[in-house]
Amino acid sequence: MPHRTIIAATLVTAGTSLAAVAQDAPLTVAMHYTQEQAAPLLACLEEYDADGVTAQYQQISYRDYLQTVLTGRLGGQSPDIYNLYSIWAAQMVDNGVLDTPPDDLVSFVTDSYAEGTVDAATIDGTLWGVPTEVSAYLLVSNMALLREAGYDAPPATWDELREVAEAVTTRNAQGRIENAGFAIADSSSGAGFVHPFYALLYSEGGTPYSEDFAEANFESPEAVDALSLMAGLTQDDITDLSVDAYDFPAGGIGMMIMANWFKSEIAAGFGDAFAQDVVASAIPMGEEWRTLQYAFFMGVDSNSDRPEEAWALVRHLNEPRDGGPSCMGEMLAGLGALTANEADNAALPEPDAFTAPFVAALAEGRAISQPNVMQSAEIEGMMAQTIERVMAGEAEPEPALSGLDVEVEDILFEFY
Amino acid sequence: MTASDPLVAGERAEVAAEARVVAPRGMGRRAGGVLKYVALALGALVMILPFADMFVGALRGPADVYASPPRYFPAEPQWGVYARVFAELPMRTWFANSVIVTGLITAAQVATSVTAGYALAKYDFAGRASIFRLVVGAQMFPFFLFIIPIFFILRFAPLMGGNDIAGQGGSGLLGTYAALCLPFVVTWYGVFLMRQFFIGIPDDLMEAARLDGASEYRIFRSIMLPLVKPAIATLTLFSFVYHWNEFIWTMTVTRSAPELQTLPVGIYLLQGAFENLEQKSLQQAALAISILPVIVVFLALQRLFVSSDFASGVK
Amino acid sequence: MERRPKEFDPAGGGWAPWLFLSPLLVFAALFFVLPLGFSVYLSFTRWNPLGTPDWVGLRQFEYLLTRDTTFWATILNTFVFAFGFVVAGVPLALGLAFVFSRARGKAVWRSVYYLPQLTNIVAIAYLWQFVLDDRYGLVNRLLGMAGLRGPDWLTDPVMAMISVVMVMVWYDAGKNMLVFSAALEAVDQEIYDAATLDGAGATRTLWSVTLPMIRPAFIFVTITSFITGMGFFALILAMTGGGPRGATEVTALYTYRMAFEDLRMGRASAGALILFVIIGVISLLQFRALKERAT
Repeated sequence: MPHRTIIAATLVTAGTSLAAVAQDAPLTVAMHYTQEQAAPLLACLEEYDADGVTAQYQQISYRDYLQTVLTGRLGGQSPDIYNLYSIWAAQMVDNGVLDTPPDDLVSFVTDSYAEGTVDAATIDGTLWGVPTEVSAYLLVSNMALLREAGYDAPPATWDELREVAEAVTTRNAQGRIENAGFAIADSSSGAGFVHPFYALLYSEGGTPYSEDFAEANFESPEAVDALSLMAGLTQDDITDLSVDAYDFPAGGIGMMIMANWFKSEIAAGFGDAFAQDVVASAIPMGEEWRTLQYAFFMGVDSNSDRPEEAWALVRHLNEPRDGGPSCMGEMLAGLGALTANEADNAALPEPDAFTAPFVAALAEGRAISQPNVMQSAEIEGMMAQTIERVMAGEAEPEPALSGLDVEVEDILFEFY
Repeated sequence: MTASDPLVAGERAEVAAEARVVAPRGMGRRAGGVLKYVALALGALVMILPFADMFVGALRGPADVYASPPRYFPAEPQWGVYARVFAELPMRTWFANSVIVTGLITAAQVATSVTAGYALAKYDFAGRASIFRLVVGAQMFPFFLFIIPIFFILRFAPLMGGNDIAGQGGSGLLGTYAALCLPFVVTWYGVFLMRQFFIGIPDDLMEAARLDGASEYRIFRSIMLPLVKPAIATLTLFSFVYHWNEFIWTMTVTRSAPELQTLPVGIYLLQGAFENLEQKSLQQAALAISILPVIVVFLALQRLFVSSDFASGVK
Repeated sequence: MERRPKEFDPAGGGWAPWLFLSPLLVFAALFFVLPLGFSVYLSFTRWNPLGTPDWVGLRQFEYLLTRDTTFWATILNTFVFAFGFVVAGVPLALGLAFVFSRARGKAVWRSVYYLPQLTNIVAIAYLWQFVLDDRYGLVNRLLGMAGLRGPDWLTDPVMAMISVVMVMVWYDAGKNMLVFSAALEAVDQEIYDAATLDGAGATRTLWSVTLPMIRPAFIFVTITSFITGMGFFALILAMTGGGPRGATEVTALYTYRMAFEDLRMGRASAGALILFVIIGVISLLQFRALKERAT
């Protein structure tokens, strides 16, 4: 077992509530990564000293990030630098939370990042920061369990997936799932339901919204089909909702549709068996499969009293260091997450067998960005609840999605 | 309203109740006696089991949680978890904040309850009845009603935290200990409780002191206050327990100010760091540490905490 | 003091009572009257607090009451939670009080039953999450050993509501038990003796002597439990987060989220006021009903 270290970051910030007023206080960088995940970045922040300007890290739980940022801003407790999930950005820009980057940073981004991810940091034609983590969803399989059930390769179609999942699933004497063949494994934010749904929706050829975001497309046949596929798994008793995402690293899940950032967690659970037993493969929707990609970007709070210094730090963290990847690049590679920074990708070692399919999915254009719609955190919460209700057998896909469509359009109506 | 000291009355009642047990009458009572203890013991088991589960859980290591199926009792209890809690979590900050905030609030509540309770019990002045009605009535207003408005009252406090006279421009009192304490400096229940105690103290003492020329403050400080010491102790204990455990408000105002978080809030907001199965034991150990101080204080002061305190709100 | 009245004059304090009351009065103005007024004002606005409030009249109330089906669902959940808490919690606490007040070793029992009350709500929520885990929680492991499939305590919508009510009852049982036992202990032994002399059996004594004597305590516990249950959301927030699928989302939690997650301060204030009015009306009705039966 690797040495499991520090998981909280708040210690670092102890006693510095007035960071925003004191000129000599360190710049605060707020991210959702645990201290353990962010270790390489923490090292960079600790070393950082640009003419007396230093830096510190603050961890905010992913689930509470947007809420924390917005209420913190009311209280004047904003960090200087954010790492933002692209779907939060529209709301933050609308509320004037973000600072526009200086020109030299804009050209740094447009010169060194893949175009698709630059879009994720762009709202209404304005770039709001430096793209950082990129993740895509693929089918991740525990081959040890699959082989035990007699399958040597992950499934390529949904029917195969159902067959394999059924064969892998084992139950205890009381009928509770012990090993889940396939799991929709949520981890408290709702993304566990919503992101696989997007992957299936895109594979069905659907889109969640009209181009101008004035209308939602949750009533479309593609959406109904996508949700029906997910619901079929629970209706036919192939799996249930009792499994947690962290059961995968514990070895209790055969397959799940998961993002590459989870690699470090899986690897920690599997240890030496990781390379041999864990495989990432295409979303099992036949030849025309598509998937979801999402991106984070690093921005600066418009209330920061030292915006120039903050942007300089942003650049420092994302610029390749002599002969090596940037601090962010190194950290993301450690997680198993991807970066769209071309210099980093050149400086980092070739992706391993697990990561390569994710890189390919992005390169081949199969991974479609998550829509940057207003109130998307609220909307995705509603989506998660709808999907969960249908999967639990409490509602049928079609009426549930019509209900969702009305609710979401109520929200869109306020903004578009 | 009762004129006797409820604390004394309570102890008397307990003694009487114990006496009743000592002298059981008839066989039926004896059989009932056994059943009674069986029922109490079963209930006690239900009360204690979840805590026991937490202590066991804290000792599990990765080998236990990654076993298939996961083990309930750890193969090798990981006692080091309690050291890890302090090494890996900002326990010291949380702990210090819990102590500071609970201490400030408890002191303020006792002071305001004693003075206001005294005034309402021992003075006659225009408006006394209305103020007393306010004290009783305000207890009926649930706290959720105040979260939003008080948050913004603190945020827009004029001339505080960089605000101008109109309350704009800065962050007001948010991000300071004041935001955690101010909304709790008066407890309606405490004022009510202290008034009931002062009512029971005869007026002659005050009269005699006034005739001697003692100032109103002196009468209060040297004559009345010592007489209600037991009540003050009870209120202190109640306030301490309540505010050590306070969660919703503190979380709301310290969500983005980690340096101000208290134990329950810190543990709750760091939830993202505990999702990994291996970290669950760390979470359980942190919870155990968050509970311990209150239990120690309670056990130490238990004799002040007789059941009749609970009756004082009823009458 | 210049004034030295011959007779004791309770009004003789001059400014002293006002001085003693000044912290309370300032507090009442700043943290009671002002917030209530502000809250009412906000309920007529649409306000994202990073901007300025827009006056929208009764639109928020209209939306909540006529369009927002989730709001009604949370009201229903609130009632289920509060009534479940009262109906299961009050008789249980009373029963415990009967045995407790006649038992020896009160200090020990009291400490044990009061333990949850000393524990912060986050710890309570989490320790029950562990105990009630569907697959590897203590309860379902024990049931499994007996060959039984335990319920999905926290992942089935109906069971989740039962679970949070149960934990709330567990949390509060000790406190209410002490209130009841104080009331029971205050009943004079002579009354019992008189009842026994009159030939009243145990059941009769209970119904016609004990219960009427502790009626004030009963009314107090019932109404405070009800008010607590209607407005309490910390346990649910930490234990189920309102889930699964909104099954335990109570109105107070819903409005809290509306305010601090979705930044809809106006609508959240309106929701909180509606809930407050409901609680007020029902508490009054309850109080009347329980009082009347007493006479």
